[in-house]
Amino acid sequence: MRPILLSGHERALTQVKYNADGDIIFSVSKDHVVCAWFSHNGERLGTYHGHQGALWTVDVSPNSEMLATGGADNTMRLWEVKTGKLLKTWDFATSIKRVEFSPDGRQLLGVTEKRSGHLGSIVVYDIDLDIEAEQTSEQALRIVCEDSKATVAGFSYGARYIIAGHEDGSVSQYDAKTGELIFNTQVHEADMMVTDLQWSPDRTYFITASKDKSAKLLTTNDLEVLKTYQTDTPLNSAAITPVKDYVILGGGQAAMDVTTTSARQGKFEARFYHKIFMEEIGRVRGHFGPLNYVAVHPKGTGYASGGEDGYVRVHHFDKPYFDFMYEVEREQANL
Amino acid sequence: MPPPELLSLSSNDSYTSTTTRRIHPQLHIKNSLKMSRAVGRTTDWAEEEDEDSPQAQLPPPQTIKNKDGTETTITYTIREDGKKIKTTRRIKKTIVKRVVNPREAERKEWAKFGQEKSKAIGPQSDTTSVGENIVFRPMANWKASAEDKSENEKKKNNLKDAKIKCRICSGDHWTTKCPFKDTMAPEGDNAGAEVPGDGPDEQGGLGQGGSSYVPPHLRGRGGAGEKMGGKYERDDLATLRVTNVSEIAEEQDLRDMFSRFGHVTRVFLAKDRETGRAKGFAFVSYADRTDAAKACEKMDGFGFGHLILRVEFAKKAT
Repeated sequence: MRPILLSGHERALTQVKYNADGDIIFSVSKDHVVCAWFSHNGERLGTYHGHQGALWTVDVSPNSEMLATGGADNTMRLWEVKTGKLLKTWDFATSIKRVEFSPDGRQLLGVTEKRSGHLGSIVVYDIDLDIEAEQTSEQALRIVCEDSKATVAGFSYGARYIIAGHEDGSVSQYDAKTGELIFNTQVHEADMMVTDLQWSPDRTYFITASKDKSAKLLTTNDLEVLKTYQTDTPLNSAAITPVKDYVILGGGQAAMDVTTTSARQGKFEARFYHKIFMEEIGRVRGHFGPLNYVAVHPKGTGYASGGEDGYVRVHHFDKPYFDFMYEVEREQANL
Repeated sequence: MPPPELLSLSSNDSYTSTTTRRIHPQLHIKNSLKMSRAVGRTTDWAEEEDEDSPQAQLPPPQTIKNKDGTETTITYTIREDGKKIKTTRRIKKTIVKRVVNPREAERKEWAKFGQEKSKAIGPQSDTTSVGENIVFRPMANWKASAEDKSENEKKKNNLKDAKIKCRICSGDHWTTKCPFKDTMAPEGDNAGAEVPGDGPDEQGGLGQGGSSYVPPHLRGRGGAGEKMGGKYERDDLATLRVTNVSEIAEEQDLRDMFSRFGHVTRVFLAKDRETGRAKGFAFVSYADRTDAAKACEKMDGFGFGHLILRVEFAKKAT
């Protein structure tokens, strides 16, 4: 496995995303620029300019025509993927920590940061799929998080629920139509921020990563914890791999905390766990800073990781990855 | 049916860098800047400075097509310390044909934009490079096997670092292998320092041994009749041999147990040099024989660990 290194960013990566076909990777970093890359050879397709602050998040619409970004310049922006043209800017009072399209691409969600005088909130906009159309400035929905601010959020299957992870380690389920809180459950350790939430391909379950050094697999319908993946480092990201039953966890001690912990090299690795057996099956090293985000190719053929070191590393899995099976799995396959 | 499409020059390259061991990271960037300048891109003042520098006098990068289908690229750079570096890399390009859906094929034809605008097709060397090969082989019990490895290594390192020092003559061999094993007592022991003749002339009355130094606690009892046969005799008389000692025992454990009966001058626990585990026997020396006798009586049959100790007086070394 020979990773492709993408060095188009000058500062730490914050999020990396594949589009639905997996041929393009979008990356955002704290250097204000969005980059689009071809995943198979690492060629840069283009860059999107306009943001005035660090970028926290990116998402691409399911038909790969529109790109949404959010950042510390208190704006959420919509771009045309093909040309890099800015289509729409939404202004907020605080920065945008997470954006995500609904599965049909007709809705766009944004998570706003909490700051003095402003509570954290989740906002939803209706999106006109026509690229030429003027997008609305009117919020279709606004959920205010009074208890603990949301850090991550996403649409469930059929955009039925909005699932949000909070700063206090809890996960909430909201009705995506009314914005009503259905219920909230403490999943991770108290006051351990949920740092990532990524969906299974059918969005009936998802994985959360937390600073409490664990990642958990939860059902969408009743937020039941199915699996727990325990590690020895704070996690920034977790992804579910299609095809093979694995999960990939990324993390590492934050640079500001390094002096308070052992400086052992090699915590900056992507960790692979078996999704069912919850056992670590291997690691991929390479980054020399914490991994801020891991994204899996939608066809399960590879993954990309964005690190605090400013690099995106794109990996295409080799044969051993696909061949590996537990004894019980092999027996099952041979039946 | 989606059209087959020529997709990529996947960089399955096995490049070798000769002439230089270390490729400067700026290598790629500088070259690409030069190329971009050639196509008329505006440059900022920071780069312009390079014009007058030796950078401008470097030969242009060369690409040679080899007979076996590989390409050799030769680039020149100047390192920070002013040394000129020639980097030769051989790249083998493989064309991978893949059938993709029409959407992907269309996107592949998109014009580049933003910072990539008007750049050539294919990955640019300033933003894209190929990392070193990583072997990723998932396995069950990964954690256990990884830990095993590191533990074994640690042990090995410990052994490497451990200095072998003989306690009898301070030579670099094990005490048991010491050539003076039968003639000298261990160093630092009561009768240890053997400096015949030139010590202070205080005689402890041990006579025959000829040792000039007598430890304070023995001075008063110099003439005691039971002491005969020399310095080793004395040592052995207050030394207990402890057998059936648990494997996991440490010298300190024994010292703690035996010092209940009197002043223990020496504890020696035989250990296996490979595993670091106790071999199952030990010697405990007391300052006073009566203490030793008491300990011998009390400790014989004492349960220690999962075993029952057997304690007896050490036999005289021959």
